[in-house]
Amino acid sequence: MSNKMVVNFTSWIKSAAGISITISILVAVFAAINSGPYLIVNTVVTGGMLALVATGLTLMLGVLNIAMFAHGEFFMIGSLTAYYVFTPISEFISENPESFVAVIGPLIAIVCAAIMGAISGVVAEKLVFGPLRKRSTDNWVMNSFLLTVGLSVLLVNLHQLIFGADFKGIVGYWSGMPISIADVFISRDRAMAFVISVVIVAMFWFFMTYTRTGMSIRAVSQDITGAQIVGIDIEKIVLLTISLACALSAVAGGSLLFMYPSYPTVGLEPLYLAWFVVILSGLGNILGAVAGAFMVALLKAITVEYIGAGWDFVIPSALIMLVLIFKPSGIFGSDVRGALDK
Amino acid sequence: MLLEVKNLDAGYGYLQILRSVSLNIDKGEYVGIVGPNGAGKSTTMKTIAGLIPPMGGSILFNGEDITGLVTSQITKKGISFVSEEMNLFVNMSVRENLLMGAYIIKDKKVRNDRLDFVFDLFPRLTERKDQLAGTMSGGERKMLAIGRGMMSDPKLLLVDEPSFGLAPQLTANVFESLDVLIKTGVTIMLVEQNVTKTLSVTDRGYILENGKIGMEGASCDLADDPYVRKVFLGV
Repeated sequence: MSNKMVVNFTSWIKSAAGISITISILVAVFAAINSGPYLIVNTVVTGGMLALVATGLTLMLGVLNIAMFAHGEFFMIGSLTAYYVFTPISEFISENPESFVAVIGPLIAIVCAAIMGAISGVVAEKLVFGPLRKRSTDNWVMNSFLLTVGLSVLLVNLHQLIFGADFKGIVGYWSGMPISIADVFISRDRAMAFVISVVIVAMFWFFMTYTRTGMSIRAVSQDITGAQIVGIDIEKIVLLTISLACALSAVAGGSLLFMYPSYPTVGLEPLYLAWFVVILSGLGNILGAVAGAFMVALLKAITVEYIGAGWDFVIPSALIMLVLIFKPSGIFGSDVRGALDK
Repeated sequence: MLLEVKNLDAGYGYLQILRSVSLNIDKGEYVGIVGPNGAGKSTTMKTIAGLIPPMGGSILFNGEDITGLVTSQITKKGISFVSEEMNLFVNMSVRENLLMGAYIIKDKKVRNDRLDFVFDLFPRLTERKDQLAGTMSGGERKMLAIGRGMMSDPKLLLVDEPSFGLAPQLTANVFESLDVLIKTGVTIMLVEQNVTKTLSVTDRGYILENGKIGMEGASCDLADDPYVRKVFLGV
């Protein structure tokens, strides 16, 4: 038994996934020793949130076959909602700093962001994607892609029209002393952002792996006809997936409001980074997207640290070109052909 | 009468393939539909399963009109379709594929009972229950597709081209497993290109030519019919 595990482990280490994860961990350790553990903290916080956006993107791609370029706008919707929910709450908190609202107030804002994200996802499906699905006879991928770009432009300008182009940000969610772990000070907001992303990714993973509904989402993404045959109601799964994906993106937007104030094009950066992750880790691979998110975050943190802040999109893009040349299915791409390869 | 198809018209887009196809199946029967390539055998199956919307005619199942229902609703009525392409979930294990086959069964205990039942039918699947469906051989996948079709405890099992792409030995295995299934009391409708084999195992057969039912009758009679022997069997 243990022999078999050793064999499995060696073959994993030799696979593209094993090599890249091992290298990432080594690089992270080296960078932490070289320039301080705050680099790891940054990586972990950005990576966790990126994982949320990227899993949403992967889900849209895998289940609905939509190359979603409006996903950043759901991040924007999340941060906007969190801003407007949290502003009155923070006024209340500043008057009553000892009240329990100081603890759960931010959570309320983030939950509202998630709900708003889910609702806007459903609206987008009902108004945009659903009608297209009925009319589009062929070339679905291209048509839906163009539609998401249009949706993105529309939402960005709607934001500007209604709420203005200024930065709508907050000073912080949770006040109080930063948490110190072994001489590293982490602000409470960052720590909470990390905890939120870990909890959500774990819940999401459990949902997708073990529940009947989660399994049927995977089934639809792998073979839509097969899913119909076993009695899965495709319309229901599509609606659920789209609201889930948008909610994940909006949660990230809400939780990171203290880092990224809400403004019309706030969603662009997370959108690009999430696409880096999805291409890097292989289309439609959810667990791969989580690992890929931390890798891209690490790469970004290291680039900023050692090369310069202007390079943080150049290096990941260069890496993605290399991945596309040498392993087009992504580093976690499965040997089994998925629905999208057909 | 378990299934009654009356004057069914169907096709893809503007292309009509089936023209007024009528057929029926009694409970417990083993019925084969044979015919040349492009005759509309698979189209008939897909229309009954709800994957292609019918253009005209009606489909009655257990006396209930199911014409135009979507596939998931038809599956819930008790019709299970094993497609030619199998449509397995390639990145799921054998066990997960089978459990998805019982998607319409809400009771977890019943689902596990069905799982045991299918594992008993196909011991080969038991050995491979944790393997990904996409990494199995063609014959095993076929077996898994049939097993998955049985998981929902269907009244009627539609099997499309079980021998497609399989070596003769594996084809024989698949036909054996269908024989086992028919003994458990399920009704089977089989579409096949292999005319000799189909007519030798089924009770009754339909011959489909150019989207129309050309002949029907007991399988042994069809196999002896001079026209069938000349056109399909080449003797």
